[in-house]
Order: sequence, then C-alpha cells, then structure tokens
Amino acid sequence: MITADDVGGVHVKYLYHCPRQLWLYARGFRPEHLNDAVQLGTAVHELSYSRFSPVDLGAATLDHLDNQLWVHEIKHSAKRREADRAQARHYCHQLVRIGVDVQGAVLHYRNPRKTERFPYTDDEHQKATEDIDRVLDIVAQAESPPKLGRTSCRGCSYLDYCWSQ
Amino acid sequence: MPATSRTYWLTTPCRLRRQDDSIRVERDGHPPTFLPIEDVRDIIAAAEVDLNTSMMSLLNKHRIQIHILGYYGDYAGSFLPAETAVSGTVALNQMRLASDDEHALPIARALIDNAAFNIRWVIDRKLLTRSYGVLKESIAEATTREQLMAAEGNFRRNAWEALDTKLPDWLQLDGRSRRPPRNAGNAVISYINGILYARILSALRLTPLHTGIAFLHATMQRHRHSLALDLAEVFKPLFAERILIRLANRRQLKPQHFDINTNQAMLSESGRKLIVQTVRDDLAETVKHRTLGRNVSYDELIYLDALALTRTCLEGSTYAPFRVWW
Repeated sequence: MITADDVGGVHVKYLYHCPRQLWLYARGFRPEHLNDAVQLGTAVHELSYSRFSPVDLGAATLDHLDNQLWVHEIKHSAKRREADRAQARHYCHQLVRIGVDVQGAVLHYRNPRKTERFPYTDDEHQKATEDIDRVLDIVAQAESPPKLGRTSCRGCSYLDYCWSQ
Repeated sequence: MPATSRTYWLTTPCRLRRQDDSIRVERDGHPPTFLPIEDVRDIIAAAEVDLNTSMMSLLNKHRIQIHILGYYGDYAGSFLPAETAVSGTVALNQMRLASDDEHALPIARALIDNAAFNIRWVIDRKLLTRSYGVLKESIAEATTREQLMAAEGNFRRNAWEALDTKLPDWLQLDGRSRRPPRNAGNAVISYINGILYARILSALRLTPLHTGIAFLHATMQRHRHSLALDLAEVFKPLFAERILIRLANRRQLKPQHFDINTNQAMLSESGRKLIVQTVRDDLAETVKHRTLGRNVSYDELIYLDALALTRTCLEGSTYAPFRVWW
C-alpha cells in the first residue's frame, strides 16, 4: 500500500468527499476521465489562467507557486468546500517538508472570480499532518468503506460504479 | 461513460488520414468527410479500411479504439491504445478469482443462467420452459467449466430449434454454423455477434479488468480476449436473436441482402448497412435503470456490467450478470 510520501492532493480531497472514493482511488480504479464534468473541468483548466505554471511535487501537482511563496489553486465550482482547503493545506505541507518556507494558500474560485487566502499556521500544519494519517488509515482498510447517502453522490465520477446494482 | 462522444461505424471501404487533429475519411466518389476527434469514442470498421501511422498515434493519444470486422463479418482484430485504466489490485484479484474454481464457478454459473434467461425472454418463454428447467438443474450439479459449457450447449441447441419456428424458411438456421456461416440466418447472427464482441471489448477497456482472464471461457483458447466472450453470453440474445426475429417479422430482410453460395452465406453490402444501422440504433435504445434512477442506453448496460465485474474483483461483491428486467 501507499506510504506518507505517496499521499497526493487528490487523496486528501477524496478523504473529505467520501472515504469510499479514496479507498477505490488508492487501488488504482480511476474512472474520472469518463466523467463529463471532469472533462469540462480539464478543458477549462487548459484554457484559463495561462500565466500560472504547475509545480510537480511527485505525488502532488499544484497549480501555481508565486514569488512570495503562496500556493495557488484554481477551483471551478463556486462553492467553498472544506476539501479544497484541505487539498491546498496538503500542498503547503508538502512544500514545507522539502524546505520551502510557504506563506499559505490562495484559492481562486473561477466562477464568481473571488479569491480566498489561508495563511499556513502551525495549527494548519497540525491538521495537514493528521489528514495524511487519516488517508493512510482508510487506504489500509481491508474492506471498502460504505457508500454515502444517495444524494451526496450526485456528480461523482464513481456514481455508476457504486450505485449500479 | 462519456455521453459527449460516440461510436462511429464505417460501412463503405475508405481510407482514414490525419489532418491536424481531425480524422479525414476518404471514400471513392465522395468528397472527404471529417470526424472531430473529441467526438469519437471508438470506431467499428465493417468494411475495408486503410490506416497509417500518424492516424494510429492520433487515435492512441485520444484513447480511441478501432475494431475491424473481416470479410465474413467475423471479428478480425482491433487497434487498442496503450492501456491506461490499469489497476494492479483489480488484475491480481481477478486472477485469483478466475484461477480458483470455488470463486470462478459461481460467476460462470450466473453467466450461463442469465444468458439462458435472456434467450428464453427473446425467443419464446413457453417453448423453452422445459429446457430452461433442465439447464438450471444441470448447472447446479456441474462441478467444472466444461460441464457448464456442455449444459449451455444443450440449451442453445433447443433454443436454435425454437428460433427456427419463428423464422421464414429461407432464414432458418438448421443448426448453428460459423466460419463461414452456412446460411442467411447464421450470417446475420455471426455478424451481430462480431459487432457485439467489439463493443464489449471497448467497454471492458474502460475498466481496469484484464480482458484475457475469463471466468467461463477457457483462458487458453485461440481468442485473446476471453473475458469479452464471457460478457457476450448475456448480451448476445438481446441483440443477435432479437434483431433477426424482428427484421424477419417486419420482412425487412430480403434475399438481396445476402450473397449465398452452395456452402456458405454472407451479407452483401446493403445487408451489412441494414444490420449495422439496426444494431447502432438498438445500442442507443434506453431503459430506465432501477438503481441509478435514470435512463441508460443498451450500450451503457454493457459498460455497467463491466463495472459490476470490476466491483466483484475489487470488493468481492457477488456478481449478478445482466438479466433483462423490463
């Protein structure tokens, strides 16, 4: 199974979305590219924010790191989600781990054209470390975690897999 | 499965070229047509087709498969893009399940049972009641795959006979024959089965399942993608037998749709077109799904069945193959 170094942004995001999704994703079942919304998101991503240059951290890839060492993440949805924050927090954590003194994260909500800043504090660092442990815990489970309620699965790329009996 | 892209069917001989990021289709006596690459999920070539390397790399980049049917409408081969949906866990579990009879036999049994159920639904419920009962008994007793296959063979023979009673004389099967099919009815069934096999392979390639590891068909046979044969069992009746009966009843199939020699029969070009169009329209037919709560096309049912098998390999859930419910 995976180690702490392999935990990427998507793992943390799925941890907040749905543990079952994380469990399946970690086992290599990744039907995302078949999802219409994901395809649209990828296309929009390619066309917007052209001044951003992605940074590859191995397990994780973040959208942009500016000169003042703020991590930038683009979000296509207008809705503020805890998962988005957790993902950005995880990137900060990864950067700190390799010795980059990051300031924090900036989330760009593309649809309302709003940004939100989250300075990377000790408290945030603590949370990011806990998230990684929780990811590893869930992935190591022998049995798949249960499904969420039907309504929370709307728009998920694993919906067909989980709900077609 | 992405709703934005679709299957393209080639029914006339043509050459495929790459022009920028589009596919340029050249046919004799026609101006070239273009297929926007984003719109293509896979291509089924039911007629002679010419391809070159740059075409192949374009197809590979966009994960598009092309399936080629041979002269007799049999499955001749595929160009499959590099494997992208790989999962070691799924492949390992699939292998474990398939190689252990304790796990493989229930899956094989379910496949045969549901296939027979579907055949009976398509052909005649009453005529096949007895044979279905016999089949159920013998698959319950069977302890090897060979016994299962034999029981299925017996049921199939009865089903072909029952099918003949529904067809006009000239379309009757008189026993199933392949490579080459002996008469018109057999030619239709072979042709549709070939198309279906290609479609199932496409669906399987969207999941992390290994197409070479099967539960019912012996993995060592000449066919490379035995798992596609497994899934085909339950879907064949929904398309092949059903379409043959329908086209016969509506008198849509005519002798000019076939080239018949003394010992073999094949579809003529107009016949191929008719069958391809019918299958294509049938694949787009929708039914309301019971647990997803939305309409799904027959085409998508194949994909959902592949997902169900993935679920079995990943989480150990019981596999219930496709069974007509409407």
